[in-house]
Amino acid sequence: MSNFKIAWMFPDTLFLHGERGNLLALERFARMAGFDPLTDKIDLDSKDFNPEDYQVIFFGPGEISAFPLVMETMDGYKDALKAYVDAGRPMIVSGTSVGMFCKSILRSSGEKMDCLGFIDAEYIENEKVYGDDIFFNAKYRGKEMEIIGNQIQMGDLILGSEKAFGQLRYGYGNTGKALDEGAIKQNSIFTNTLGPMLICNPWLTIEIIKQAAETSGLKADESALNSFDDSLERASLKTKVEFIKNKETHLKNCSL
Amino acid sequence: MSAKFRLALAAGKSINTLVNIIDKSRGSNLSGEKALLLDSKMLSHFKGVDPSKVLFITGTNGKSTTNNLLNHILKDNGFKVISNLEGANLLAGVTTSMIKASNLSGRVDADLYLFETDERFLPIIREQLPAANILITNLQKDQVQRNGDPDYIYRRLEKAFRDGVPRMFINNDEPRSASLAKYSERSVSYGSEKHSQAFTKGDSYVTMPCPVCRHKIDFEYYNTDGIGSFKCAHCGYESSKEADYTVRDIDFESGTFTVQGVKFSMPYNTPYMIYNYAACVAVAHEMCGISIEDCAKSFGNFKNVGGRIQVMRYKGKTIKYMRIKQENPETFQSSINEMANDPSRKMVALGLAPLVDFVPHYAVSFYAYDCDFSKLVEGDVEKYFCFTDAVCYDTANRLIYEGVDKDIISIADNEDPEQIFKEIEQAETDNVYLITWLHTYENMEKYLKKEGAEFE
Repeated sequence: MSNFKIAWMFPDTLFLHGERGNLLALERFARMAGFDPLTDKIDLDSKDFNPEDYQVIFFGPGEISAFPLVMETMDGYKDALKAYVDAGRPMIVSGTSVGMFCKSILRSSGEKMDCLGFIDAEYIENEKVYGDDIFFNAKYRGKEMEIIGNQIQMGDLILGSEKAFGQLRYGYGNTGKALDEGAIKQNSIFTNTLGPMLICNPWLTIEIIKQAAETSGLKADESALNSFDDSLERASLKTKVEFIKNKETHLKNCSL
Repeated sequence: MSAKFRLALAAGKSINTLVNIIDKSRGSNLSGEKALLLDSKMLSHFKGVDPSKVLFITGTNGKSTTNNLLNHILKDNGFKVISNLEGANLLAGVTTSMIKASNLSGRVDADLYLFETDERFLPIIREQLPAANILITNLQKDQVQRNGDPDYIYRRLEKAFRDGVPRMFINNDEPRSASLAKYSERSVSYGSEKHSQAFTKGDSYVTMPCPVCRHKIDFEYYNTDGIGSFKCAHCGYESSKEADYTVRDIDFESGTFTVQGVKFSMPYNTPYMIYNYAACVAVAHEMCGISIEDCAKSFGNFKNVGGRIQVMRYKGKTIKYMRIKQENPETFQSSINEMANDPSRKMVALGLAPLVDFVPHYAVSFYAYDCDFSKLVEGDVEKYFCFTDAVCYDTANRLIYEGVDKDIISIADNEDPEQIFKEIEQAETDNVYLITWLHTYENMEKYLKKEGAEFE
């Protein structure tokens, strides 16, 4: 029986490209930490989902048109989910799905959608899609780190009192006009970074596994995690940063 | 004829004449682009166009192949066709084709107007040229930097179709495009029976939300990635058991199939072409009354110049190049399946590359995690080689996550053909698969030609 459960929320409804990679990374590093991980797909028809049963919860980005149904489905456990976040347990939300955890989403059609309100923020859908690389500094569990990835921005994240997850060194981030990237609440991450972010940035994944273990009362093999050879990912980060440095951009909020 | 249109037409024709003299490679788009500056509604001003004879071919994958093959079938059967065969599929490209085909007074005369249209721009093009016939190949994730999620495209198409489309040709086995049939006064479906290279994916892969109720779509099998017999258990939306035009008896070994009992030969015997074949037969028969037998005759002498497979021999190696569209897991999955279906020992050279379609370029390879490598990895692969700058390490990591031993992966952080082919030369096997996008391959092809490689 698994002692490390990961909830992959609405995987067939909320996904863009490559989110599956994040689950593979969580499983890989959980295994490295000495656990026996199991990923459960939680979908619109799942019965009796209880966030408390899971060490990590992951939401990929999705089509905004699907959000009303997803939020309606979550209605039965949204308080438990909020308690999970408030207790400092790790929930990872990426891309457009961040909007569901804001107070509201303003669609490009002018329609306003009331949302879950986990974070003090609003999400405003843009008429145009913006895709680019993203590179930022973040701090998770007190550890400073560089995060690299891609962003397909279909809306702007307007933070209220919430703290940003990272500070951009390159990229659109929340609005394309400032340095804020995503939001962090306790140890839950709301990020614009898409695709297999947790594969490309194993230093973050390792800290998430440690946090998941700590808040579940499990003992992780930290020495195994800390001795992971990340030379391949470091090489990847380095070559992508070089790529960013040398490319043309219309962004004016930051430059490398 | 308005003065604006007259001026735009004259300018367009002059540009075409100049382009023919100076640089023919710029001829697919330029005259339309400039003429539209003079008359932004120019496409709507050509005379003699009967909308019932106009077909737009749109969708994510297969537009060009379908357009090429349909043009061939129709011309082979004596039809006069106006089309954008050069592949420029935005408003300017379609306008350029009409400028070329029209006389000096802007009149066009054809039996059929076939235009490949970009799915994002179809609403804009159709505003000016109200095609009564729409063929949708499929609507899948593609070019997310431009298109975001498929719902973004779906909503645009819904907007374009909301007043109704007289006739739609619909892929029965692709959930999103099939669901758009509700906007047609008459829908003609095309599809394929399950073939020998149909596949399923493991439980860790996702499928897609149902376009009707947003619950999960279950695929019984995929004939090509994202396309196959499907059903939504929640609302009951499903592929029909029988499409109006169904490809059957598919034999990839002999390169044949049948439609309504008539035997066809495949121009290319690969699974992802099957639905294009079905679509072409449906259109040729329904719109032009060409018999199935005559369609079959035309298939026999078709060659798709822009096909995605190229075989070459170089220093004792047989190199099979398979083109992928970037950011497009479906074409990548087809290539992976092709390699996995080859039981012999092989080397795999993977050149996923940053996306450089427009500014900003970006280093993306995340779609590789939607592709199932397991059959390939379980097969007999001597070594993997990941090349191209910026994403070569991520490509290698994708393989490692699939269980490939690091020791049989080599990496080159560049696109230098000399280095790439040196690596290929060092393989013990003579069976080499090369997967990359067209732009990278073109540079490699130049190098190979210089080095005396033989091309099939």
